[in-house]
Amino acid sequence: MNTATDAAATRVETEQKPPKKGKFGSMGGKKRGELIFLACMLALPVLQWLIFWLFVNVQSIALAFQDTRGGFTWNNFAAFWDELHATTGKTIGVAVKNTMIYFAVGVLLQLPGALVIAYFLYKRIWLNKVFRVIFYLPAIISGVVMVAAYRSIVDPGGPFEALAALFGGHLPPEGLLANSKTATLMIVLFVIWTGFGGNMLLFGGAMARVPVDVLEAARLEGCGPFRELVQIILPLIWPTICTMLIFTFTGIVNSSGPILLFTNGDYETTTINFWIFLKVYGQQGSGAGGEFGIVSATGLCFTLVTVPLILLVRWGLEKVPTPEY
Amino acid sequence: MGVLKKKKTENFSSEASILRKRSPREKVLFGFVFAIFAIYAFSLIFPFLYMFLNSLKDPYEYLLESSHLNFPEKALFSNYGKAFTEMELETSTGSVVGFPLMFLNSIWYSALCTASGVFASALTSYCVAKYRFKLRGVFYGIAIFSMTIPIIGNTGSFFKLVYQLGLYNNPLYAIVTTFGGFGFNFLVLYGFFRSLPWSYAEATFIDGGSHATVFFRVMLPQAWPALLTLCIMAFIGAWNDYMTMILYMPDYPTLASGLYVIESSLKRGDGGSYPIYYAALLIACVPIIAIFAGFSDVIMSNFTVGGLKE
Repeated sequence: MNTATDAAATRVETEQKPPKKGKFGSMGGKKRGELIFLACMLALPVLQWLIFWLFVNVQSIALAFQDTRGGFTWNNFAAFWDELHATTGKTIGVAVKNTMIYFAVGVLLQLPGALVIAYFLYKRIWLNKVFRVIFYLPAIISGVVMVAAYRSIVDPGGPFEALAALFGGHLPPEGLLANSKTATLMIVLFVIWTGFGGNMLLFGGAMARVPVDVLEAARLEGCGPFRELVQIILPLIWPTICTMLIFTFTGIVNSSGPILLFTNGDYETTTINFWIFLKVYGQQGSGAGGEFGIVSATGLCFTLVTVPLILLVRWGLEKVPTPEY
Repeated sequence: MGVLKKKKTENFSSEASILRKRSPREKVLFGFVFAIFAIYAFSLIFPFLYMFLNSLKDPYEYLLESSHLNFPEKALFSNYGKAFTEMELETSTGSVVGFPLMFLNSIWYSALCTASGVFASALTSYCVAKYRFKLRGVFYGIAIFSMTIPIIGNTGSFFKLVYQLGLYNNPLYAIVTTFGGFGFNFLVLYGFFRSLPWSYAEATFIDGGSHATVFFRVMLPQAWPALLTLCIMAFIGAWNDYMTMILYMPDYPTLASGLYVIESSLKRGDGGSYPIYYAALLIACVPIIAIFAGFSDVIMSNFTVGGLKE
């Protein structure tokens, strides 16, 4: 058998079992057994989805229109609107601005950075295996540990201050993380510093499946690394890039750094994700003072704004033709 | 067998040599990139060296130092022992939770989340990938819809439900809320199950096996590499998760959430010492680094994701 026939045979073999025609009664025990099996397999996950996804989201919409006693109100939306226009404190206005910064960093720096890193590791740069493990470390080490380490280095009295002193600089007495002008920048730097690992691994996995014959043929034609990455590898791993971009856009409103660990939202560092956490957690903790109504109203407004954007992005990305290999 | 192995090795080495071919200009570029990679790698390793160095110091020695970059006057490895005995916090009920109990909480919480989440995804992805039934398209649609359409701000509603169901501060939370079969794990396992040939199942049916036998005895063992990868990733994710524990299970602090609370009290100056805290942080990393060291090849080779189109 030639290779093409082999491939076709494998394809047929791996496709799902074709459905049997006819009514349930005439299908006999086999079909009934299959249906019982499917029901047993799917019952609990589907029930879980109905309760913890569908019901939660329906209830969330209802909460947006409810006051604390369960009566109908528009006040949650009015409160959202007021907070949206605030420019200081732990407010939605500040949160939106910061969230957009984290999102831009994710799309413009983290994804392309991870792609470039993955490319050089794929091209077997010297010590590539060691680099791959080290670069992936921030993705597996707890944020609590990474933040504690970062803080102790950049806070006053740490190595960063000693380094700044070598060049004649000095830190403000309160430190860079306790200053409204620099706190968000310092957290963004942390996010960039630790944010390549997971994406790098996914891009690396996709690149490993690229047929090397294609690269060799391109090389014979005099193709350099830049063209190789942009014109050959990028189109071949497009489905992975597309999925990553869709996930990044899906998480647009959740774009954030570890705000709780750094500043607890002080110094103008709050993000939408953290603002929601804070409102649900309550100022006293343990959810006792949770303001669910305004959280749901805010979420509903942001959902209505972002869903069309995401659908548009997804539609646009899927329009790009994907080469088969 | 030997020939096949030799052929495979030859293929691999020819692949590697193609990927390693460089023109003189490329060698300069790769040298430059290597330097950047080396600096970045050092920056990622440095915090751990820094914490290790400081974890061996006497608390007063640490306080009196300026840059904390000096070697300890005397290496106090006893700080690692003290981390187990002195690192503790008080929960809302007034009970004191020590470092060993936080460690134990991390283990059971991560294990339950991992088992529940991956198993549920295996159930749904297998059915959708291998059977044709009326709701199959709906289930696939739900999986993609749930992942790609962001529903924002449902945390309040979720918290309310968790409270109403009695899952707040309840270990069952780890199983019930993670038993969703339509997340990222679904996407990975769906692709994997689709690539498995159905002929194995047919052979099992001929031998008198049931659908359950096919799933548990034939398909699940074959999906082992993908399942193992997802289990490792889920375990690491749960081990490092601090926000869920703070929000939904505050009386069961894990290492991640507990050490956050302890650091908050250190910052407030409520007592405790940074060298012992650094020792505790490094101990908390050990299980994850051990898992990663043992399974890094599995993670690196199996962690892939394709397109979202069916």
